[in-house]
Parts: sequence; C-alpha cells; structure tokens
Amino acid sequence: MLEIKDLYVSVEDQEILRGINLQVNPGEVHAIMGPNGSGKSTLASVLAGREEYEVTSGSVTFKGDDLLDMDVDERAHAGVFLAFQYPVEIPGVSTATFLKSSINAIRKARGQEELKPVDMLKLLRQKAAELEIDPKFLQRSLNEGFSGGEKKRNEMLQMSLLEPTLGILDETDSGLDIDALKVVSDAVNKLRSPDRSFVVVTHYQRLLDYIVPDFVHVLSKGQIVRSGDKSLALELEARGYDWVREGAVQ
Amino acid sequence: MAETLQTNKTDRKSRFYTLFSSLEQSLNGQTSRADHAIRRKSMEKLAQMEFPTRRDEDWKYTSVVPVLKPDWSLPSASANDTHSAAAGEGIKLYFFNGMLDQEVSDLDKLPEGLLLCSIADALEMDTERARVEKLLDKEVELAENAFVPLNGAFASNGLYLRLKKGVRLSSDIHFVYTNDGSAQATMINPQTIIVLESSSEMRIVESFNGQSGQTFTNILNRFEVGANARLEHYKFQLENKESFQINNTKAWLNRDSVYSNYNLDLGGALVRNNVISVLLDSNITANLYGAFLGVDRQHLDTQTFIDHAFPHCQSNELYKGILTDRAKGVFNGKVIVRPDAQKTNAFQQNSNLVLSPTAVMDTKPQLEIFADDVRCSHGATIGQLDETSVFYLKSRGIPDAQARRLLQLAFLQEVLDTIEVEYLHDYASGLLKAKFEETK
Ligand SMILES: Nc1ncnc2c1ncn2[C@@H]1O[C@H](COP(=O)(O)OP(=O)(O)O)[C@@H](O)[C@H]1O
Ligand SMILES: [Mg+2]
Repeated sequence: MLEIKDLYVSVEDQEILRGINLQVNPGEVHAIMGPNGSGKSTLASVLAGREEYEVTSGSVTFKGDDLLDMDVDERAHAGVFLAFQYPVEIPGVSTATFLKSSINAIRKARGQEELKPVDMLKLLRQKAAELEIDPKFLQRSLNEGFSGGEKKRNEMLQMSLLEPTLGILDETDSGLDIDALKVVSDAVNKLRSPDRSFVVVTHYQRLLDYIVPDFVHVLSKGQIVRSGDKSLALELEARGYDWVREGAVQ
Repeated sequence: MAETLQTNKTDRKSRFYTLFSSLEQSLNGQTSRADHAIRRKSMEKLAQMEFPTRRDEDWKYTSVVPVLKPDWSLPSASANDTHSAAAGEGIKLYFFNGMLDQEVSDLDKLPEGLLLCSIADALEMDTERARVEKLLDKEVELAENAFVPLNGAFASNGLYLRLKKGVRLSSDIHFVYTNDGSAQATMINPQTIIVLESSSEMRIVESFNGQSGQTFTNILNRFEVGANARLEHYKFQLENKESFQINNTKAWLNRDSVYSNYNLDLGGALVRNNVISVLLDSNITANLYGAFLGVDRQHLDTQTFIDHAFPHCQSNELYKGILTDRAKGVFNGKVIVRPDAQKTNAFQQNSNLVLSPTAVMDTKPQLEIFADDVRCSHGATIGQLDETSVFYLKSRGIPDAQARRLLQLAFLQEVLDTIEVEYLHDYASGLLKAKFEETK
C-alpha cells in the first residue's frame, strides 16, 4: 500500500529525514515512536504534501502511484488522511460547512454523487455522536477556540467521515485524557479492516495499549534505528529513548 | 497644458448646464414649484464648485474623471416590468432608472405612522417644508462635494419619509433600484430624506441592481434620527461592471439614538461611498460596517466620517475587503473626538486581503482626538490568504480554488455576522457566494 524508499527530506536547507525505508501493507498498523525533534511530524507532513518540506532524494509510492507527484487534494482523493498534530483554526468557516465540502469533494473526485443535505446531516450527527462530540460543535468555526482534546476529536471525526485507505495519526494522543483516548482509539479500531492501514505517530506507549500495532519503528535523528513488534514499545517505555539513541550511534 | 485641463473641466460642467436646460424645458411650466427652486439653487452651487480631483486629500486615490466623461442622459419616464427582486418581505419601492414605479410599489400598503411622499410634495406641505429645507436645501448649500448639488439639480423621484414618534415599523422598507443604461448612458440621482421622530424605529434596505449598459447612480441620503430612535440602513450594491456609483449618505443623530449602516459592495466599475455620521448629543451609537469584493478593474472606495462632539457616545466601524485581478480598494476612516466628547468609545478596523500582485488597497485610518478620557482604537491590515489554512482544507480533498473561496468567504464572514436580522444576513451571504461563483 505505502512504500517509502530511502527518503531524504530537508527544511530550510537542514536535513531532517535521512534515508527512511518503510513498507506498509494493507491492513497493517505501524507505530512510529521517537524523541521530540526526531522527524516524526516531518515524515507525516511529507506524506500529506506540505510544500515547505523538500524531498531531496528517495521515493514514496501509494498503491503503486508516485505519491510525491500528487497534489495535496489528490492525495486525499486517493485515500491518504493525516490527522494533524496541530490542527489549524479557521475562523469564519463552520465545522459543518468544512465537513460537507470535504466529503462532497472526495465523493466527486471518486465519481460519486454529492450527498443529499438530509443524508449529510444524518451522517455528521451519527459520527459526531460516536466520537462523543456535541452536535453544537458543528456550527462553530473550525477548531476556533477548541481545546487541544476537542481539536483531536475533530480530526478523528474527519477521518471517520472520509474513511481513508491510509490513516496517518500524528500524536493524536497528546493532550487527551484517558476517556478521550479511549473514544479516539475506538474510532480508529472501528475503521481497522484488511484493506485499510494506519501509521500511528506517538511519543508515548500509552496509546498503543488501545490501538495495538503490528509493527513498531523507532525514529531518531531522521532515521529508523530500530523496528520490531509491539513489545518494542514496552521496552522503550521501560528503558527510555536514550537506549535507542545509543543504538543509532553504533 | 493647464489650459486644456481647464477647458476639459468647464466642458464637463457645461454638459450638465446643457442637460439642465433641457430638463427645465421638459418641465413646461412646473418651474415655479418649491422643488424647482432647490434644483436651480443646486445648479448655482454646482457652478461655484469643482468636481473633486486627486489633488483633494479626500479623493487622493479615486479619480472621478471616468464618471464625468460619458455624455449622460437623464432617465425617461417609462415604466418597466423588469424590476429586480427585493431582499425579502416588507414595503417595496421599485425604481427603474431612478423613477419610482407607482404601479408595482407598495404605496397603498403604508403602515400607520409613516408618511411617505415625494420631496416635491413635502415642500408644498406646511408641516414638512421646514424639515425638508433643513435636510436638503441647507445641505446643498453646505455640500461636501460637487456630487451633492449635482443630485439636487437632477434628482428625479426624491422621496421623503417621516416616521412618527414612538412608531416601530414591523415591516422593512425596501428601495429596489434597477438600472439599465443600454439605450443611452444614463445618470440616475436617487434622493431620500428620512426623518425619524423620537423613539421610532425603522429598517431600510437599498439594493442597486445593474442590468446592461452604462449608468451613473449618484445617491443623496439625508437622515435625521430623533432622540432614542433607531435607524438600520442596508445597501446591497450590484451594479454592472460598466457603471458608476457615488453615494453621499449623512445621518444626523440625536440623543440616545442608534444608526447602523451596512454596506455590501460587489458590483460597479467605480464606487465611492461617503458615509457621514454627525453625533448631535450624548449616548449615541453609530455602527458602520462594510464588506467589498473587487475583481477585474473594479475600483471601490469608502470614506467614513464620524463626528463625536458630545460625551458618552460610541462608534463601531468594521470594514473588510478582498481585491484581486487589477482591482483597487480604498478605505479612509475619519473620526473626530472633539474636546467635549469625554467617555467616547470609538473603534475602527479595516482588514483587507489583496490576492494578486496587480491589485491595490489604500487604507488610511484618521483619528483626531481632542478629549482625554476616551477609549479609541483603530487598526488597518493588508494581507494574503493564510497558506497553512489552504493546506489544511486541501488535505481534506477540497480543491485549491474551492479552498481559497471558502477562506475568502470566511474572511468577510465577520462583517456579515454583524447583520443580526436573519433574512438579511442570509441574503447578504447569498449575494457574496453568487459573486464568488461568478468570478471563479
Ligand atoms: N517548518 C520547519 N521549519 C524549520 N525547521 C523545522 C520545521 N519543521 C520541523 N523542523 C525541524 O525539524 C526537526 C524535526 O521536527 P519534527 O518533524 O516536528 O519532529 P517530531 O515530530 O519528531 O517532534 C526539528 O529539529 C524541527 O525543529
Ligand atoms: Mg511532531
């Protein structure tokens, strides 16, 4: 599904990612862990198509197509979804208007008809309820004045509505209390299926108790320094990141 | 060189002299009425004044040369059935090229407590004459620019409205102007005088809709808002891309009164608003709000002037504009807080998006504060769309152009949200969305 080969990425002439290799097959959940500043968000942003990040070499294919060659909205149409670490606040655009525009744009790109307003409303209400989001939220400006937790739930609401084939979660767990963490994890687990994959970026092992990964990778200084199964996350939790940092040096 | 300039100028005015002679001839005999005396006086005033040039500080960014160039004709008195739709329910006054269409207008549905008649008739009424003279005759004498006497000379269907003490109109009054200069370049001079007696309330909605051809709409509004009265005033301007509009609106505000002006400028080749609020006593509120969207070569200029002369008054100004292609925008917000105007709250904000390298915005807040115990603030910004927001929307599958439109609409939303009346809020949103659709 997703194949990252020898990826080098720079920001403002500073090399952030230095030779990333990662293969994600359909149905798999990969966790990416690592200390702050190791390049996790950079990797997620490159996959979503942020322009400040310059790919200096390497390739990324998604379902066989060159992902790096696609425009940002085309990536969404193809089924890539990034839940942002820091969702943007957009005053004046209501959450409902945004969600409707997004759903219909993706439907249109896939050759489906726009949803009828009644069906749209029903869908929004139902998914909001699943994420324990007050329907009143839908009338508020997108993310404006939302708490950290509310923003993250809103990201999950979008993911549930858009049903991507590849969901990338960038520290969706940070700033969530334990109840919210469960709600968010449920939303992800509900979407898990043999033909849908996830890349879950997190700083802490805690989230992985709820979203159980098939693979865990440790990113340090722009490189994957260790890969393993879910037990690697527990080991990291016990021994700290210094342990893998030493590993990176050797 | 100087000589040709001079000739051109006299030439421009002399065309209006010629036009006035033909107007007088067409009136056969009615030139003795009081309203005609005002026309003559206006013509004399025009002769003494010059049309503004860019050398005048207040017209530095707007040249009226294109407005004065065409050989304007006056509208002919023909009824027309192609009126534009009003914004909503209420009392509707339909004008075609400035001529009131008596047939279709709701002149027979006037509510209790509202006097509505032509200015010419009001001048013949002993009860009204003094008021009209104060608000029209006197105003021509003191004209803030030459377009005021121009209107005074050529207004075709000036209307006078007086709302009686304590009357709160439950239906809004719609002035629906449909303009069409397709036969001949047409100059239209809407003229409205409104007197709100104490504790009365009224909402008026002007809409200007340009069909084909070139028109020049030269508006003169003079309002007197009585003690504790409220006037809400909307202008939805949708002239066509060849047409011009100059809008001279002045409101005299008495103790405890509120005047709110909402202005949406979407059409027109060249538009200039002069919105003046004169605060005559204390505890008065003036709210001036505006949104504009300029595309192609549109030129949209708004000048506001709020004169605080008494204590405990407030004024709120919020103007937001978007300019793209080769469009130009101008905002000049003048506020004077005179020495006696202690405890004044005066807020002014003008924010603009300039979306193309060839679009221009000139903004100039101008606060002159002579009192010490006041709260005044002003801000002016010129910026572009936030690319992080564009990226966020695109990452959810929304195509680039649509994402940018959504954000532009969101930018102006703050102004639309000052409209508390739901149907007018929705109407304004609809007009804006339609303009975005049309220009995408
Ligand atoms: N837009 C940017 N401009 C400059 N430096 C950046 C930018 N984004 C990330 N960086 C730098 O790249 C490194 C990796 O950052 P990031 O990918 O956010 O790490 P993580 O998500 O693992 O904490 C950091 O040193 C950070 O300062
Ligand atoms: Mg990060």
